[in-house]
Amino acid sequence: MPSDKNKDIIVTKNITKTYSDNGIPVHAVRGVDLTIRNGEFTAVVGPSGSGKTTFLNIISGLDTVTDGKVWLDGKLLSEMSGRELSDFRRDSIGFIFQAYNLIPVLSVEENVEYIMLLQGVPEKERHERVMKMLQLLNMEGFADRLPPKLSGGQQQRVAIARAMVAEPLLVLADEPTANLDSRTGGELLDLMRELNQSTGMTFVFSTHDQMIMGRATRLVTLKDGRIASDERRD
Amino acid sequence: MMTFKMAYRNVLRQRRRTLLTVMTMLGGFTLASISIAWSDGNYNFVIDLFTRTQLGHIQIHSQGYLDKPTLYNTITDYEMLGRTINNYRGVVSWTPRLFAAGLASVGHKSTAVRITGIDPVRETETTRFDKKIIEGRMFGETGTPEVILGKGLALTLKAELGNELVIVSQGADGSIANDLYNVVGVLESGDPLSDQTSLYLRLSDAQDLMVLYGQAHEMAIVIEDLDDVEEITVGLTEAINRPGLTVEPWQEFARSFYNAMQADRQGMWIMLFIIVLIVSVGVLNTVLMTVLERTREYGVLRAIGVRPLQITRMITYEVTVMATVSIVIGFILSLGINYWLSLEGISFGTFTYGGVEFSEMYSEINARSYIIPAITVITSAVLVSLFPAIKAARTVPAKAMRTH
Ligand SMILES: Nc1ncnc2c1ncn2[C@@H]1O[C@H](COP(=O)(O)OP(=O)(O)OP(=O)(O)O)[C@@H](O)[C@H]1O
Ligand SMILES: [Mg+2]
Repeated sequence: MPSDKNKDIIVTKNITKTYSDNGIPVHAVRGVDLTIRNGEFTAVVGPSGSGKTTFLNIISGLDTVTDGKVWLDGKLLSEMSGRELSDFRRDSIGFIFQAYNLIPVLSVEENVEYIMLLQGVPEKERHERVMKMLQLLNMEGFADRLPPKLSGGQQQRVAIARAMVAEPLLVLADEPTANLDSRTGGELLDLMRELNQSTGMTFVFSTHDQMIMGRATRLVTLKDGRIASDERRD
Repeated sequence: MMTFKMAYRNVLRQRRRTLLTVMTMLGGFTLASISIAWSDGNYNFVIDLFTRTQLGHIQIHSQGYLDKPTLYNTITDYEMLGRTINNYRGVVSWTPRLFAAGLASVGHKSTAVRITGIDPVRETETTRFDKKIIEGRMFGETGTPEVILGKGLALTLKAELGNELVIVSQGADGSIANDLYNVVGVLESGDPLSDQTSLYLRLSDAQDLMVLYGQAHEMAIVIEDLDDVEEITVGLTEAINRPGLTVEPWQEFARSFYNAMQADRQGMWIMLFIIVLIVSVGVLNTVLMTVLERTREYGVLRAIGVRPLQITRMITYEVTVMATVSIVIGFILSLGINYWLSLEGISFGTFTYGGVEFSEMYSEINARSYIIPAITVITSAVLVSLFPAIKAARTVPAKAMRTH
């Protein structure tokens, strides 16, 4: 369990990302330097098109930079092979997306179990950890349910369970509450914050929602692909 | 395990599409199975027809006779060998034959002929010789020398029943062979080319003419089941145990016929190619559609650390599950149809061959009618699905995060 509060989990150095839209360059991220420490609960905010998703994709190794460098837990991402990156994501990052997170043909339990299965965790331990996680998220009664038969809020809880069950270094969430009503979204954020505090796991999430921003301990605001402000409030 | 579970459940996810794909593969399998069973049935039917009514399934000659058929290279104690052969399991009957060449004339017409001496009783028993006579009658029990002409030869010689026919040839002792025969029958063997030059004598008359008393050039054997021909050939060779003689199955002594029959089977490959096409198009269509629909799902899988190969495998499993179901159902279905066709056959109207009347063709029940289509269906389905499966494995996970 990560506990060293001074350890840097993410370090970016002057990263830029330029997409090409039919030959016209789109500068999604333009020179971002950011360090995220172990155990932080960071919200990345900013207007639509400001580069939040692009930034999250880059720091999780889902997308490559045009220029600059990213270190995750001290490892330089650009030096990893596709296979290493894939295994690194599996072992070190938990993902929560805006929607359609879960594999529709796998039950709640199987969805949460899946990553540990890929990691080769023994069955008994898998089962125990899945059940503990589902309990923590108040979803233990839904273990055998298929995702399409859950509400949006319930699905996101399962997604959180899946992201956290393998105890990754970092949980990344791109607008995890965008498809939920604000009350459910608020509850979900409270839950994430609780888990952040109890486990010390690092969270980085993006959001549009003012109320949700309020729950973050660090608020990074992007504008036109640059950091406009960076406030800590713990 | 989980990969397989996912594949299996994904198959059930799009029921209608799965059904369509399964039907395509099932159709391909069944079509192939029925056509192979049918062509195998006909293949054996034609072979059996030809060997049973003409050549025999197994032949015995003196060593070297087939390569260089001379008058002098004979089997000297065929009667004794015949007893051994008759007692051998699976043998229906045997018949001795004597061959010679000569000049035949009726009135002013004369032509070169191929003379075959046959044992009337044995030949009838073995190749149904009497059934091939279309005019006149079979040899009488004893009495005057008689001749039966091939249909074409009778025309060439303008011979009619009751005519006198003269054969001139050379006997084995070097003497001029010269005798008179009464035309008693005309025969249609099923091989018109042979009928243009062939005439038949009683074996004893032929032996007299050629001065080859108690000798024959060939012993033709008909067995109960064509499939046992190799086994019986080997067994007979041992039972006879005569190094001076060769015992050969039809594939050996009728090599050109065998090769022609083999060439005929090439049709099967065309059939299989069509099935590969049907299955490929069907599977490619389904899998491409599926993969396109699930782009986001594969993106999520890639994002959370599933390796590309595992995604490829999952899709391949899906196709394999569908193919297996198709093959199992297809097997039951085509086994039923093939069984029915092997019992009932299909009628093409009555036709006669070698004096034997036939009216139906049948399928054969054998393993390859199922194994070949099964391998074809599985292989083409899996190969074709590899392309979309690899495409799916290459899904860029970043796209999964961009939900809209
Ligand atoms: N694949 C792409 N090709 C071209 N341009 C892209 C691509 N992906 C993103 N962009 C552009 O990059 C910029 C940043 O996009 P990004 O999705 O990171 O913004 P965002 O802050 O997440 O926006 P939102 O709040 O709407 O989700 C936008 O102008 C977008 O149009
Ligand atoms: Mg976004």
